[in-house]
Amino acid sequence: MIAADLSMTQDSRPVLGQAALSLQGLSRSFGSLQALSSVSLDIEEGEFFTIVGPSGSGKTTLLRILAGLDQPTEGQLLLRGRDITRLAPNKRPTAMVFQSLALFDHRTVGENVGFALKMRGIAKAKRDARARELLELVRLGAEYFDKPVTQCSGGERQRVALARVLASEPEILFFDEPLSALDYRLRKTLEVELRALQKRTGRTFVYITHSLEEAMVMSDRIGIMRDGQLVQVGSPAEIYGRPDSRFVASFMGEVNILKVAEGRLPELDLPLPGTPDGYVVLRPEALRLEEGTETGAPGFAARVAEVFRLGSRVQLHLESPAGLMIAELPAETQIRPGATARVSFAPEAAHWVAE
Amino acid sequence: MPRLLRSLWLTLILALLYMPILSVVLASLANTRYMRFPHRTWSVGAYTDTFSQQETLTLHLVSLKVALCVTLFSVILGALGAMAFARYDWRGRSIYQKAVVLPIFFPQPVLGLALLMFYSALGIPPSWKTAIFAHMVWILPIVTLVISIRLFGYDPAQEDAARDLGASRWQVLREVTLPHLAPGLISGGLFAFLLSWSNLPLSIFTTGADTTLPEWLFSRVATNYAPVVSAIAVIGTFASVILGVLVLLGLRLSRARAG
Amino acid sequence: MSPGRTGYLFALPVALFLLAGFATPIGIVAWYSLMEPRTFALTAETTLTNYRAAFTEGYGPPFFWSITGAVATTLACALLAWPTAKMLHQLAGRGAAVLTGLIAVPIFVSESVRLFGMSLFLMPGGGILAGSLRALFDVNIGTVLNTKLGVFLGMVYVHFPFMLFPLLLGVALIPQDRRDAARDLGASRWQILREVELPLAMPGLIIGALLTFVLCVGANAEAAILGGQAISVVTRAIEQRFSYAQDWPMGAALTMLVVAVTALVVFPALARIDLNKLIRR
Repeated sequence: MIAADLSMTQDSRPVLGQAALSLQGLSRSFGSLQALSSVSLDIEEGEFFTIVGPSGSGKTTLLRILAGLDQPTEGQLLLRGRDITRLAPNKRPTAMVFQSLALFDHRTVGENVGFALKMRGIAKAKRDARARELLELVRLGAEYFDKPVTQCSGGERQRVALARVLASEPEILFFDEPLSALDYRLRKTLEVELRALQKRTGRTFVYITHSLEEAMVMSDRIGIMRDGQLVQVGSPAEIYGRPDSRFVASFMGEVNILKVAEGRLPELDLPLPGTPDGYVVLRPEALRLEEGTETGAPGFAARVAEVFRLGSRVQLHLESPAGLMIAELPAETQIRPGATARVSFAPEAAHWVAE
Repeated sequence: MPRLLRSLWLTLILALLYMPILSVVLASLANTRYMRFPHRTWSVGAYTDTFSQQETLTLHLVSLKVALCVTLFSVILGALGAMAFARYDWRGRSIYQKAVVLPIFFPQPVLGLALLMFYSALGIPPSWKTAIFAHMVWILPIVTLVISIRLFGYDPAQEDAARDLGASRWQVLREVTLPHLAPGLISGGLFAFLLSWSNLPLSIFTTGADTTLPEWLFSRVATNYAPVVSAIAVIGTFASVILGVLVLLGLRLSRARAG
Repeated sequence: MSPGRTGYLFALPVALFLLAGFATPIGIVAWYSLMEPRTFALTAETTLTNYRAAFTEGYGPPFFWSITGAVATTLACALLAWPTAKMLHQLAGRGAAVLTGLIAVPIFVSESVRLFGMSLFLMPGGGILAGSLRALFDVNIGTVLNTKLGVFLGMVYVHFPFMLFPLLLGVALIPQDRRDAARDLGASRWQILREVELPLAMPGLIIGALLTFVLCVGANAEAAILGGQAISVVTRAIEQRFSYAQDWPMGAALTMLVVAVTALVVFPALARIDLNKLIRR
């Protein structure tokens, strides 16, 4: 069991009810560019926390500050209550898997994995033994020990990078989109393995990615970033079911967003009583279609522009009074491009957001 | 603080690199027979003397003839050599690559002496013409490398594409290969010219009765501090510094285009 | 025509030129070195007399000083060039390009001019340094001119750019994220240098060190202009064999010994370097 033999240093023992990592108003500016503005967040002990955002949203800057590779211009960072804002990265009980992996190409797999132990002056025999153990743990096998890193495949390199950070016995592990360069299937496999490894070791993982799908699979909680700010934090189900802005909703995938004014949807000329001004988010699967234009339930007329068969379901692009809308129906639906349809939805399926 | 330290260090390095060159300029601005700095009277007399001497012209002409020939031949041969160095993958390429750079890693005075014996064994009297050959032994590998650097950033598929679009072999060369190579040829040529122009150790042994500028300076500086020597050094150096600036601008230009 | 064949054809002119201009002269020197002392003809009869003389007749000191000087200069240049290369690499943009250009310019100024300038600068009494100090602060200083230290300073001065530029290429081979990763994994500044930066920059360092060492082994202008009679270097000794002593075979034997020292250093080092990787940047 890995959790048992990862020793913990005396001064940073987890305390019940205390955040593993507490971000307090972290800001970072590069000249006139505000890369990060006042990010506050508590990451709990043993949690898999994922920060999701488009490129340029400041998530890498945030992670570099957490790892100590960059310093915030304002704010504090507490590790189990201890201020580590100005602590050098080599003095922090944290370790990071880089986007490029940053493996040392001039060293073998074993030397890469044992690097952190060598830096602490641990004897060669001991660190080699430890490296072999870790290689087993990440499912590479000890036979990779003497292999040059340059001869490893993409997936193998991921595992080497993972073993390398585990060797330093970090309290918290950071991940900077390490899976982004891999093909889909390998990524899926590693996502599941990473989640399992996190569960087994009980460590706190902080992961950043631009793929919400990736975040949904692995995380206990997700934080969405935009323009240097954390706009929503919650469990995957909360983020998916109750996005609190149009930005978060559209980040979740293809959704329909409609304006609300004076209790109506002006674009579709439909009433939506009791809804304050703002917007509603309608998931594609919330739309119902009936072919023809005869009036029935409250709804609107639309023309089917495109039909995409996606295996388990059918996606339709609709030309509606509100412009392009997207609907998803069960795979067995028979409908052709060019058809006209009456579209409706249950009012409770419309999720309201202020902005 | 590290930023301040960095500025200080780089300034110091630059100052040290330029101090001797500045010293020559300062020394040339006097009209005394012996060096006594600071000069009691500052004068450009040394320069007017220099320009009125036939020797000045002869020295520059010999250096110029040698440097121009070295440039021309080195660029032509170097362009061909670079194609084999970087453009084509062929059996024996790695040995060829190492053989080409070998003369660069060879002590130049020793090379000069070896060439002198070589000419003597062949019965060729040394002159500025043999110096061209001697300079090229050291400079051609450098030019080949400079052009190769340019060629490494070249996708040979462009040539196939041009052929596919109906270009003849000659048209491919003119429309695709040469335009891409041009910045490399220019910087290679400038390197060749400057390195030949300033070369001392090879010239000493291989020019015979002819004298290049650096040789003449070398023979005078140990014995004679006349301002005229400084003035000629300044004139020769000024020419090469201007060309040195050109070489770097050329390199930047080629890099900008490659990027 | 296959690319293999084309490559071979393109290689031919340069290969033939270097065969004629580089390999053949060295072959001829090797042959001369086996002739009877003080002869000028190349005959079939060979002797090792010159090599025996080279080891017994007092050529030790020039060899010693040339090699010691080369090692010391290489080390000094590496120590000065490493921080400089790192700083230049950190500086981004136009400033760095201009600065790098300014450092490159002296390479294209003749050695004789630069060393002449250095001797003018260091001259006692009316030299640029001594004269200025006396005029400005009324301080009188001595000089390092005509001493071994003077020669050493001149060697470092002349060869510094030859170390710096390959090292710049080498430093560019160190990705910032490898440094970050090492720091993140607990490496100190010194450990990062030893474990990550030096190994990754090694090709550039080797090329720079080779270039500096080889140029220094053959250097004689520094000793002639700055050293006075303070030091005798091997190239000077060889030259004297050729000119004053008119003993070509002896000079050739000494030349071959320098060639041997050079080859011993250059071949193993060059074998370790992938030129393609370094140049492709």
